[in-house]
Amino acid sequence: MFRNTYDSDNVVFSPQGRLHQVEYASEAVKQGSAVVGLRSKTHSILLALKRSLGELAAYQQKMYRIDDHVGIGIAGLTSDARVLSNFMRQQAMGSRMQFNRPIPVNRLVSSIADKAQVNTQEYGRRPYGVGFLVIGQDKNGPHLYEFSPSGNSYEYYAMSIGARSQSAKTYLEKHYESFIDCSLEDLIRHGLHALRETLQQDKELTISNTTIGIVGPAGAHEKDVPPEGGFRILENEPIQVYLSRMQPKRAPEEPAAAEQTGAANEPEEGATHGSTADEDVQMGE
Amino acid sequence: MTSIGTGYDLSASTYSPDGRIFQVEYANKAVENSGTVIGLRVKDGVVLAVEKIIHSKLLVPEANRRIQTVDKHIGLASSGLLADGRHIANRARDEAASLLSMWRSPPTVQALVDRVGLYVQAYTLYSSVRPFGCSTIIGGVDKTGPALFIIEPSGVSYGFHGAAVGKGRQLAKTELEKLKLSELSTREAVFEIARIIYLVHDDAKEKDFELELSWIGDETGGLHLPVPKDLYDEASRKAKESLENFE
Amino acid sequence: MDHFPTNWGRPRNELYDQYNTFPLHQRPTNHTDTFTDGVQRTQQPIVTGTSVLAIQYKDGVMMAADNLASYGSLARFRDITRLHAVGTSTIVGASGDMSDFQYLQRVLDEIVTDEFTAGDGNSLGPAEVHEFLARRMYARRSKMNPLWNALLVGGIQNGKRFLAFVDLLGTTYSASSLATGYGAHIALPILRQDVDPNPDAITEEAAREILRKCMRVLYYRDARSLDKYQIATVTSAGVSISEAQKLDTNWDFAEKIRGYGSQTQ
Repeated sequence: MFRNTYDSDNVVFSPQGRLHQVEYASEAVKQGSAVVGLRSKTHSILLALKRSLGELAAYQQKMYRIDDHVGIGIAGLTSDARVLSNFMRQQAMGSRMQFNRPIPVNRLVSSIADKAQVNTQEYGRRPYGVGFLVIGQDKNGPHLYEFSPSGNSYEYYAMSIGARSQSAKTYLEKHYESFIDCSLEDLIRHGLHALRETLQQDKELTISNTTIGIVGPAGAHEKDVPPEGGFRILENEPIQVYLSRMQPKRAPEEPAAAEQTGAANEPEEGATHGSTADEDVQMGE
Repeated sequence: MTSIGTGYDLSASTYSPDGRIFQVEYANKAVENSGTVIGLRVKDGVVLAVEKIIHSKLLVPEANRRIQTVDKHIGLASSGLLADGRHIANRARDEAASLLSMWRSPPTVQALVDRVGLYVQAYTLYSSVRPFGCSTIIGGVDKTGPALFIIEPSGVSYGFHGAAVGKGRQLAKTELEKLKLSELSTREAVFEIARIIYLVHDDAKEKDFELELSWIGDETGGLHLPVPKDLYDEASRKAKESLENFE
Repeated sequence: MDHFPTNWGRPRNELYDQYNTFPLHQRPTNHTDTFTDGVQRTQQPIVTGTSVLAIQYKDGVMMAADNLASYGSLARFRDITRLHAVGTSTIVGASGDMSDFQYLQRVLDEIVTDEFTAGDGNSLGPAEVHEFLARRMYARRSKMNPLWNALLVGGIQNGKRFLAFVDLLGTTYSASSLATGYGAHIALPILRQDVDPNPDAITEEAAREILRKCMRVLYYRDARSLDKYQIATVTSAGVSISEAQKLDTNWDFAEKIRGYGSQTQ
């Protein structure tokens, strides 16, 4: 388990100029179940895989509403996510209060990125152990951002984070050029296909373990969406219609190949952390 | 390197026996492996350019800007840890606003750089923080004319006519020395800086990159602005052409 | 929690801390409570500007204010600009305390710079500026320390005209013609008559003439006004504030006034 002299705290640069603690924090993100985000000209959407601790337990919450026009999907330490999402809500409310204006999405993301950066530079802190995909809309249309523990944030056409997200990324990279002109329904279908790639062999997407977050005008199967098309989370029954429209899984050799490429990029994931990658990280452990 | 394993390289508050602070040197390593950033100070303004490494094709082009605006007339670009660069930019904005409110006139670039330099230096003094893993180029046009500086992780700052930091800085400096910077106009400088960024980018080793350009000068009315689309396109087209001729 | 016993209240005798163990710079001082006698905050404006007028017209919003800052009844400063551009689509006009207005100008310039340096293409329109000012004014009055102004905020946002009022209490309202101070009594009825039926029918020249007329009426009747004034326009092309211009007035009637002053009969 011991790696080197330079990874025990976050204020030490390695001789190569790397920050190992920050890199390890990014590993915590990969312990959480996957979130996929993608966007078209009109919509940004998130899709997440929910875990449940057992048959008597509820499924975890993977998405949070920040403001009418912004929502997030999380992977990693849920408690860190709650702290950061609370902060984002405060920022959003602050903008509404001061200027009566929905906060521009990029500024919201930058505000938590700047907060996360401080935790990589001061002794006695640890970097946040959570990654976000943030979707939102403003006067420039829909957006999708990734936030990571390093304090970096980027805008993407499509992105995935969390366990086995590399497989989903491979799917997204193959199809992203078609997303921009997609209808909401097609976009969700692509998202579900990407999310499916992160599943373990014997698992499937169900209405219980899947969450969908949307910003943009109401889709064909949606009711009671206000005309601005703010952030909403779909769970349980309402997503059945989208699950039913998925194409059946491809022949077994294809996804297996995709998983191998994913595994090749993250060779140490299972080995170094010694835990099965499908369990949630608990703060206390 | 005699540093590794000695125990003298684990904290910014520790000197080695020969008087070096290795943590600051390691911070410089973070810069040396990052995309090149160049600044030119010319006759009537300043031009900044970043070689933005594209780590995924899913990134939205032109969306993730690396050159930041500190005050209306001052721009900033950093090479190294991105998040650290943003931290410095935020601090620089606060300093600029503070200088403005104190003197009720736009701060000179020199005054701003002095303040930011002090801030960066403070992070080399204590074991409770690490130095900034980025070198910052700050450029602007103030009442003294065009000005351009680099602030290093150590907190030291120097003024330059042509400045380059990051992976391709050596090759870039060689190219910069061939230019007559004090005779160039900002418009001409845009072409030169684009050409140099394309030149120092190592196609074989590195991932794809995006060129990012900004300028301040008479052409922008003294404001720090992104280079307009048509000029940007022309500059990058010429840069690619000259690269073909070069090879 | 303060762990130094010497800070827990100093008894009369010198029994405590006989050896001066307590750090000198933190010695408890016999400071008097600032609030024992109460505090008095701003009760009145000092150097003041009088009315501001503003109307909506075909192309946008037009605002007028004279160049005087009075010290009581003394016409103290005669070249003060009371119209302030905020960004490229907003104009703010101020009456009331001029030093409070100058403070607000700094604050507004600061948020405009913040918006520019964010570099993400977002900017503040008149609605945001008005909301911001309203929040500031209300926050200050809630601390019993108001910024003593009545402000008009006008501009263009998303192709639509915007004109609204906010004062030292944080009160806000919006209309197609607005005036502050004495102008709210004297000029506003005239403005309403000319403007409110159909602002879209008013050309720039007509709008200018309406404001000129009202500024003249105010100059005749408002003893804190000046015959030098500026007009600001906000259109989709941007903000422009005119040079100071002179009102042409006719005081011949003054000869015939009887009943006060030296001309008792």
